[in-house]
Amino acid sequence: MNNGMKILFGAVSGVLYAVFGLLQIARAVFGPVESLQALLIPGNIFNGFVLLVIGSVLLAGVRRLFGGREDGMPFVYVGILLSVGFGLVELLALCALGADAYLVGEWADRSAADAANPLLYLAVIGVLGLLVWGKEFFRGVWAA
Amino acid sequence: MRKRVRIALTGNPNVGKTTLFNALTGSRQHVGNWPGVTVEKKTGRINRNGYDIEIVDLPGTYSLTAYSADEIVARDFILEEKPDVVVQVVDATNLERNLYLTTQLAELGAPVVIALNMADAAEARGDAIDRERLSAFLEIPVVRTVGTRGDGIGDLLDAAIREVKTSPHHKHAVCYGAEVEAMIASLVDALAIDRALTARYPRRWLAVKLLEGDENVLARVREGPASIHVQNLLSSIDVDGYEASMADKRYEAIAAILPQVHRTDTRGATFSDMVDRVVTNRYLGIPIFLALMWGAFELTFTVATPFMTVIDTLVAWLAGFATGSIEPAWLGSLIGDGIVSGVGAVLIFLPNIFILFLILAILEDSGYLARAAFIMDRPLHALGLPGKAFIPMLIGFGCNVPAIMATRSIEGEKDRLIAILVNPFMSCSARLPVYVLFAGAFFEARAGGVIFFLYVLGIVVAVVSAKLFRSTILRGESSPFIMEMPPYRLPTATTSLRHMWSRGSLYLRKAGTVILFGAMIVWLLASLPYGVEYGSEGSLAGSIGHLVEPLVAPLGFDWKVAVALIFGFLAKEVVVGSLGVLYGTGEESLSGALFADPNLSAATALALMVFALLYMPCVATLGVIRKETGSWRWTGFAIAYGLAVAWLLAFAVGHLAPVFTGGV
Repeated sequence: MNNGMKILFGAVSGVLYAVFGLLQIARAVFGPVESLQALLIPGNIFNGFVLLVIGSVLLAGVRRLFGGREDGMPFVYVGILLSVGFGLVELLALCALGADAYLVGEWADRSAADAANPLLYLAVIGVLGLLVWGKEFFRGVWAA
Repeated sequence: MRKRVRIALTGNPNVGKTTLFNALTGSRQHVGNWPGVTVEKKTGRINRNGYDIEIVDLPGTYSLTAYSADEIVARDFILEEKPDVVVQVVDATNLERNLYLTTQLAELGAPVVIALNMADAAEARGDAIDRERLSAFLEIPVVRTVGTRGDGIGDLLDAAIREVKTSPHHKHAVCYGAEVEAMIASLVDALAIDRALTARYPRRWLAVKLLEGDENVLARVREGPASIHVQNLLSSIDVDGYEASMADKRYEAIAAILPQVHRTDTRGATFSDMVDRVVTNRYLGIPIFLALMWGAFELTFTVATPFMTVIDTLVAWLAGFATGSIEPAWLGSLIGDGIVSGVGAVLIFLPNIFILFLILAILEDSGYLARAAFIMDRPLHALGLPGKAFIPMLIGFGCNVPAIMATRSIEGEKDRLIAILVNPFMSCSARLPVYVLFAGAFFEARAGGVIFFLYVLGIVVAVVSAKLFRSTILRGESSPFIMEMPPYRLPTATTSLRHMWSRGSLYLRKAGTVILFGAMIVWLLASLPYGVEYGSEGSLAGSIGHLVEPLVAPLGFDWKVAVALIFGFLAKEVVVGSLGVLYGTGEESLSGALFADPNLSAATALALMVFALLYMPCVATLGVIRKETGSWRWTGFAIAYGLAVAWLLAFAVGHLAPVFTGGV
């Protein structure tokens, strides 16, 4: 894989994270917008903030790589890591809340739309990045 | 008869001394992937080859010229207690910096053995160290160790025992150049008349320390007959210049040895380098830190939910069963309304506590928290706190008691005092049950965000208070922050789970002691005088609550909350325990009872959480503030200041929150 692929990956995922972050904050502040319902974006300032942070890290990497700077790579790698990490946080939260709903007998009231959240479904992009570049990134890490 | 040997474990901060100590002695002392974890010496014993060996783990120190309280502990032990052998734990991935202390130990004439620790990490990145040549150059045995796996432990002990029998030690000394050596010779002659002092310490070592401006050694010389002569000699030179020149000479000596014993791989940026470029980035570092903290609290709140539901159901059933079935009725009430409801109300939050500690352990063991301290240095320094104070602040997320003790690694006295005074604003785990209870009851889906807000508020209040103290009662410049970044490591499940358990079990122990005691007292107050309706306004608890109520009524709190806050002084979890007793929830959950209380609203709940965060340190924290500051005045100040800040902010939040919550 060359840098061009990483730039493309970083740019697409960075823009997606940043846009979804802004939309999530906007929804939290201004309420739902009918035309954006299909994107399954709940209003949550904190989630929106995290999406923006991940997007910023990825785009900072892309900016450096465009300028021919090799130090852009770590930003793309860390962006991928954050994407996967926060996706995992959301997945665990989802499982836990599902288990709780089952315990208190509210399982039937829940729908897939309630569970959907950009941090969760955008993490698929991070997982793809990790599968492709993970080995290169984690070289030299040893167990404590 | 068994022979006794005393070994001191010394070395730079964060080189794995405590990990090695645990491996040597089978102890389970807390270790962390950042400097300054050990602030007091710890002792353990082991038998080997007919020797009864006592091992003392000392706080980390960069040199034998001590500046901070924890460095003084390490230096004084080596100087005054004179252990049979000093084992210097050396980080094999950073030989140059670590050998600086070796040159000083050799100068002291102490029997030294080097434990070349984290050797696996050095080898993994392609380094090769010729231990035999290093040992020959230094005249010190060098043993390869990996503390985390226990590699080389037997060899290290054998080498230490052999060193006890060896004499004399280390003929080589660093040569400081003609001018400095001449001054050393003059001081050595001058010190000869102080027989008491020179009988205890080598004369050359004393002379070197005097030229380095070591206040501790200077004070000892001042008490003896050589004082005037020594002071005359010192007044004729620029001590600062000498100190710098001597440090240079030591590094020159190390630089002469290193290329002959150490081959390093230069394969470009490592994983640590790459991650550090991003997480310590000037603009992205703090947002990434905040995002990670949010993730931690989101997990703490949500993942624990099903476990809490199970415990809550059990506690409610048990309380109802005890109250309804045990005779006589007062005993049933004591067990059901008092003990089960009080202690149970706190135990419900055990999953949250364990999850939070697990996440903090993972962040700590990975090396990230050391970076968090680094990125916070700039804003903290601007506000008058040294970046080093952020490490105790982070420890404060667990418990303020060890956090305040950890301020010993801060050099400046005023810096340290500020760090101590602001530490109680860091939200310790004992406050988490209060947040989870009220945020869960009144904010539901936004509970994780509310808890995150409270933790950030604690940090903000701490740094703003630091700025206030620095510009008023504790004026001065904060000292610069120099900290070596530990490498990132993949935390092992065993280590992280052990950290989680060692901290979380304290919470469990508290539930069986302080919280149980608090719950029984509150039950007694809620049941007396005899014949009064349990937990009513006519009870003693009601009378106490009404006495204090005027002070907290402007914040929207009623007498029950007032009583809970008073008993929260014992330990913050008791706030929840007391509410459990006073609401006498029986088979209904406490959060449901609070939500149904017409005196409580989302705004009041938020104000109460802010007040519980800030209002005053618990009794154990006050004890350690008194011990570390040595002053009742500062202890009293910590109480008064905390109460004032808590009242003002809770008042503001209680009155502003309805604007954001739509008056709910």
